[in-house]
Amino acid sequence: MDIVWTNIVFSIVAFALLYFLLSKFAFSKLFGIMEKRRELVMQQMDEAAKTREQAVAYVEEQKQALNNARQEAQNIIQQSQITSNQQMDKILEQAKSEASRIKDEAVRDIENEKNKAVEELRSEIGTASVRIASKLIKKEVSASGEQEQLVDQYLKEVGGRS
Amino acid sequence: MHAMPKIMLGGIPIDLSVVLMLLISCTVVFVLVMLSVRNLSVENPSKLQNFMEWVVEFVQGVIGSAMDLKKGKPYISLGLTLILFIFVSNLLGLPFSVVTMAHEPVTVFGHVIEATKNLAHGDHVEILWYKSPTADINVTAGLALIVFVLMNYLGIKLNGKHYFKHYIEPFPIFLPLNIIENLAKPIALAIRLYANIFAGEVLITVILKLGILSIPFLAVWQGFSIFVGALQAFIFTILTMVYIAQMTIHEEEAH
Repeated sequence: MDIVWTNIVFSIVAFALLYFLLSKFAFSKLFGIMEKRRELVMQQMDEAAKTREQAVAYVEEQKQALNNARQEAQNIIQQSQITSNQQMDKILEQAKSEASRIKDEAVRDIENEKNKAVEELRSEIGTASVRIASKLIKKEVSASGEQEQLVDQYLKEVGGRS
Repeated sequence: MHAMPKIMLGGIPIDLSVVLMLLISCTVVFVLVMLSVRNLSVENPSKLQNFMEWVVEFVQGVIGSAMDLKKGKPYISLGLTLILFIFVSNLLGLPFSVVTMAHEPVTVFGHVIEATKNLAHGDHVEILWYKSPTADINVTAGLALIVFVLMNYLGIKLNGKHYFKHYIEPFPIFLPLNIIENLAKPIALAIRLYANIFAGEVLITVILKLGILSIPFLAVWQGFSIFVGALQAFIFTILTMVYIAQMTIHEEEAH
């Protein structure tokens, strides 16, 4: 264990030289790369967090949209139910009124037809009875208007009773 | 006992083995680091780059345990160089050592090696050429001196009057004690590292005297020496950082 002062100097110089060479040529680059990697990881983590946030927001949005759509569908169904009910009522009403109108018309027609038939029948019966009477009484009864009028009056009485 | 191959170069003593070993150690560390930063990549680091980044993170952890990592950032390079240099130096002497026997004066580059100068006839001396550089107290003393100068310089520069005030605390009578404490730090650093590595190499030499029987013991001891080498590199680095932290950071709540 001899102390040789030059050895101490040499080792100091050697170490200092090694330190400067390494810091200049190697460590600065290495630290730079490590710093860059750290930044990269941070950035990626940031991005991941951001993406996650976006995804959550998106899901929330989708949920909202789904809820809205469901509400809308419900509304549409309700609306359509209401309209269909209204329509049904309307159609029913229409049908009812139509039916009553048709019935009224039919009743009126029947009345008309009946009146016409009665009228016709009456005039036919009048002429027929006049003819019969003229055949029965031949000349005694002339086909003057007086008798015919009489018969008509009589027939009217008969018709009015029926 | 092995002698060192020391020559006198114009009155200046030069230990050739230390020069050689420092050269080898620095070259190995430099090449290792340069290889690891050869193809730096953010996305796809090579295995060596991964290893070097692991070392960097390890040193960051060491510094972070001693001081605030934000304040400790400038010391990462220092810690890295220290730990790599000491670790490589500790391991260099493990696989083998080179010893030459000299029976007469040996000259290198035209200069006689001091230890072989005055050899009596029939006497011989063993010259140790290849060993761990940290198995030489001069090298560890050099490293400790760097740390000592650095920590005091940083203390004065960054801590100002608290640095000097620290010497007379808690009472002015503690001044000599504090000075001794300060001086003991580099001495302890140097001797701890030197003694651990030197003892390891001495024990290897002793075990080798067992001949063929030495193989299992050698295997165990070499494995342990690797562990000791890593541990001593770690201890030297963390103590350096702790000393720098003690000197540079003034704790308000402590006073």
